[in-house]
Order: sequence, then C-alpha cells, then structure tokens
Amino acid sequence: MLATLNKYRVTFLVGLQSNLIYRVNFAVRGFFSFFHLIVVFILWSAAYAGSPLIGGFNFAQTFTYFVALLVAQFVIGAFNEDYQISEEIRGGLINQFLLKPVNYFAYRFSIYVAARLVTGLLILVPLIVSLPLIGEYLVLPSEPWRLGIGLPALFLSAIIQFGIAYCFGMLSFWFLEIQGFVILSMALESVLGGQIFPLDLMPEWLFRISQFLPYYYQMYFPVAIFTGRLNDPSAALVGLGIQACWAVAILGLGAVLWRRGLRLHTAVGG
Amino acid sequence: MSHYARLWLTSARYCIMRMMMFRGDFFVWALVELFWMTVNLLMVSVIYQHTDTVAGWTKYEMMLLVGTSLLIQRFLMGFFWSSIFEMGRNIRSGHFDFFVAQPGNVMFTATTRKIDPDSLINSLVALGVVIYSARQLGLQPGWVEVLGYALMVACGVIIHYSMLVLCIAPAFWITSVQGIEGSYFTLSEFSRLPRAAFVGLAKVAFVWVLPVVVVSNTPASTLLHGFDLQLAGWLVAITALWFGLAVFVFHRGLKRYSSASS
Repeated sequence: MLATLNKYRVTFLVGLQSNLIYRVNFAVRGFFSFFHLIVVFILWSAAYAGSPLIGGFNFAQTFTYFVALLVAQFVIGAFNEDYQISEEIRGGLINQFLLKPVNYFAYRFSIYVAARLVTGLLILVPLIVSLPLIGEYLVLPSEPWRLGIGLPALFLSAIIQFGIAYCFGMLSFWFLEIQGFVILSMALESVLGGQIFPLDLMPEWLFRISQFLPYYYQMYFPVAIFTGRLNDPSAALVGLGIQACWAVAILGLGAVLWRRGLRLHTAVGG
Repeated sequence: MSHYARLWLTSARYCIMRMMMFRGDFFVWALVELFWMTVNLLMVSVIYQHTDTVAGWTKYEMMLLVGTSLLIQRFLMGFFWSSIFEMGRNIRSGHFDFFVAQPGNVMFTATTRKIDPDSLINSLVALGVVIYSARQLGLQPGWVEVLGYALMVACGVIIHYSMLVLCIAPAFWITSVQGIEGSYFTLSEFSRLPRAAFVGLAKVAFVWVLPVVVVSNTPASTLLHGFDLQLAGWLVAITALWFGLAVFVFHRGLKRYSSASS
C-alpha cells in the first residue's frame, strides 16, 4: 500500500516540478483572467444600474460569485488534461504504462493535482493584489454548514472536472482529433456550468433541468454554496448526493473507455 | 503583390481540399463555433430578461454590437487564427525553420498559411445576427453606412490580427506561450461591451490605450447613428499604428529566433 502511494507521490512531485517550469505562463494566464473580472464588473454594474436586484441578488453578490468561480477554475478546473492524455495515446507514450505496474488514471490524476496546486496558489497573487480594489464588492456568507457541504462538493467537482477531461482524452483511441469535441463540451460547460451567467438567472424550467446534468456540479454547485446563491442546506445535501452519483458514473465511464480503448490500441510509436 | 495573392490562394485551395477530406471535422468545428456564438447571444438574452438597458443600449442594439464583434472575430479565426496559434508552437519546436527558409515575407507566410472554412461559414451567421438586429431596430442604412461598416470591420480584423500576433510573439523570447495565447480571448471579451459602460481608468485603458472596445463599437455606431468621418479616420489611424507595432515586435522577435533541437 505504501509502495503504491509512494509511486504516485513521486508522480505528483514530478508533476509539480514540470508545472513550476511554466509558472510564468500560469501567472500571466491568472493575470489576464482578472481582465475577465473587469469585463464582468463593467457589464454587470451597467446591468445593475437599471435594477438594484437581478434574480434576487445584488451586484456585490453576483460579483462575488464570478470571483469565486474564477478562483475555483484555477483550483479544480481541468485546463488541458484531455489534450495531454490525447497526445499520449496518439503518440504511443501510454505504451510504457501498459508494461509497468502504474495505473494510468492515478498517474494522470496525480499530475492534475500537482498542476492545480501550482495554478491554485498562483491565482492567489493577483487576487490578493486586487483585494483593496474589489474587497468592498465581496460578500461571503459565514454559516458553518457551507464549509461542511461546500468542501466535499469542491472535491467531487474536481473529480468530475478531471473525470470528464479523462473521458475526452480516451476518445483518442477512436478519433484522431478530439479538440472539436472538447471545445464543444467547453461551450456547453460554460453555459450549463454557470461560467457565463449564474445559472439561477436562467428560466426556472431550464435551471431545474440543469440541476440533473453533470455540468451543474462541475463548478456552479460548490461556488453557489460558498457565495450564498444556494441557501437551503437540505437542498445542498441532495445536490451533494446527485454530484456523488455523477462522479461515480464519470469515473466508471472513464474505466470502461480505457478498457475498450486498449483493445483497439496498436501501440505504435512511443 | 500578386505573388503574395497567388501564394495565399494556393494555401487557401489546399485548406479547402483538406477540409473536403475531413468533412466530419469541418462539421464538428462549424458546430463548435456556432455554439460559442449562441453562448454570447444567450448571455445577452438572459441579462435583458432582468433589465431593459445596459449602459443605455437596448437588447437589439446590444445584439447588433455582439453580432459585429462576432463577425470580426469569425474573420480573424477564419483567415489567421490557426496559422498564428501554430506559430507559437512552431517557434518552440523549431518547425518555424520552414517559414524562415521560404522566399518572401516571413510574417506573411507564417500568419496566413492556413484558413479555417468553418469560421468563415459562421461569419455568415454573425452577419445574419447583425442584419436581424438591424431589422428589429427598424434601421435602413444607406450605401455610405454599409460601406463605412465594411471598412470598419476590416480595420477591426487588422487590429485583432495585430493584437493576436503581439500575444504570440513573446514565444521568441520565452519559448513557450502556452496559456498566454488565451489572453487574446480575454481581451476580445471587451469588444462585446458598449463603450458607454466604460468610465474612469477602464475607459482610458480599454477605449483609448487598447482599442478593443472601439473595434466593434465604431462599426455598430455607424449602422445605428450614421457614418462619422472623424471616427472612421481615427479608426484607420489606430489600425495603422497597431499593425505597425505588430510588424515591429514580430521582426524584433525573429532576430532572436535560433531554431530548436536537432
């Protein structure tokens, strides 16, 4: 057991090193992400000029939602894991994992955790720097249940994020080019995951449907708990249950795709 | 000049032949672009469900603005994105040697080699959004306004092209621009906002210093309020300025290029 854990600890450390090489890139990306917050600030403050409450929330609550969403993206979001997995399959680099006692999912997950540790810490820099400017627009509710349900929800969101990226990467066993699928899914995620606007602003019937889709649990769900857009603890618990089901389903799908994909794999290159 | 036109046409023909070979890919990417455009329009729709105006712009005025911004971006994606995106990776891998060894202008061959027919097809959808919004607003622009609009969209494409080159050119200095190239998209988000929404420092930065707001607002205003010669002249001037800056930075970077690997 310890030897197994040690394998992935080393993988994590190697992932940490390789991600630290690109720390400038991540820092620049984090810096430019704050430009997105400026867009959000300008657009939504102009929208709120005509109406003090939108969907029952004031400007500060909506702005806090977008800030929390941005931080969550850097802490748990899958950046280009799907593309990396696809490259490893297409280039034959996965062949080495077929000959060694290394679980490919655990290997990739260790690297994902290392990468998010680096990006998660780097996003704190522009956040702290901009705090004097945006601090007055940040309002976070402080009920203890939000932490109790929000943290496991954030963990499950990370599993779903990585799981979906892993499944898309697996598609490379069948398709030469997966980027089209990935970006189509990103567009779906951006709408149904609440990245473009808070999901609760959608028409009621669409919001209800979205609660049964995995995209809702990728980012919106934990962020809504932490930022006070979801205020009913029992509804949050039900959501956590649905989220756990999606996490298990996506992990299961990833395992099936891996097994089926390997049957087609001809181990060229490497 | 005709030599470069022939070069471009040959590349374009090759890209279209390639598209015919991978028809499935073409449909998937066309769908992707269409979906992203829908996302932008959906955002406008959701916001206007809860408010009547944003910075004094009504729903269809905003749709006209977003449609114009999408039109400029589709042209950029269609004519330049793939080539410029690959340029960053080619500089890192050393494949950029291919372009350096070509007879002719390196910046031209490196940034115009590929076209994306899927984006160009979707520019028709963006144009459809502009026309639909104009009809909903009861606009009846004359030839001067339509030609002025086309000229300003062309200026917008050149400004976006220059900004994209400036986002990728750091690859000559820092080797990998992975993650940085996305910063262009962050900047392009500003072009979907009405100019009136910018105040104070944001107005100085995004309206005057970085022309991301004016590139879409100026053509949209031409359709909404008529052709303004002074505004058009100013847009042409900053287009020349940004293009000049992109050419300068690219060639400074090119001097640093030393290939890679063996």
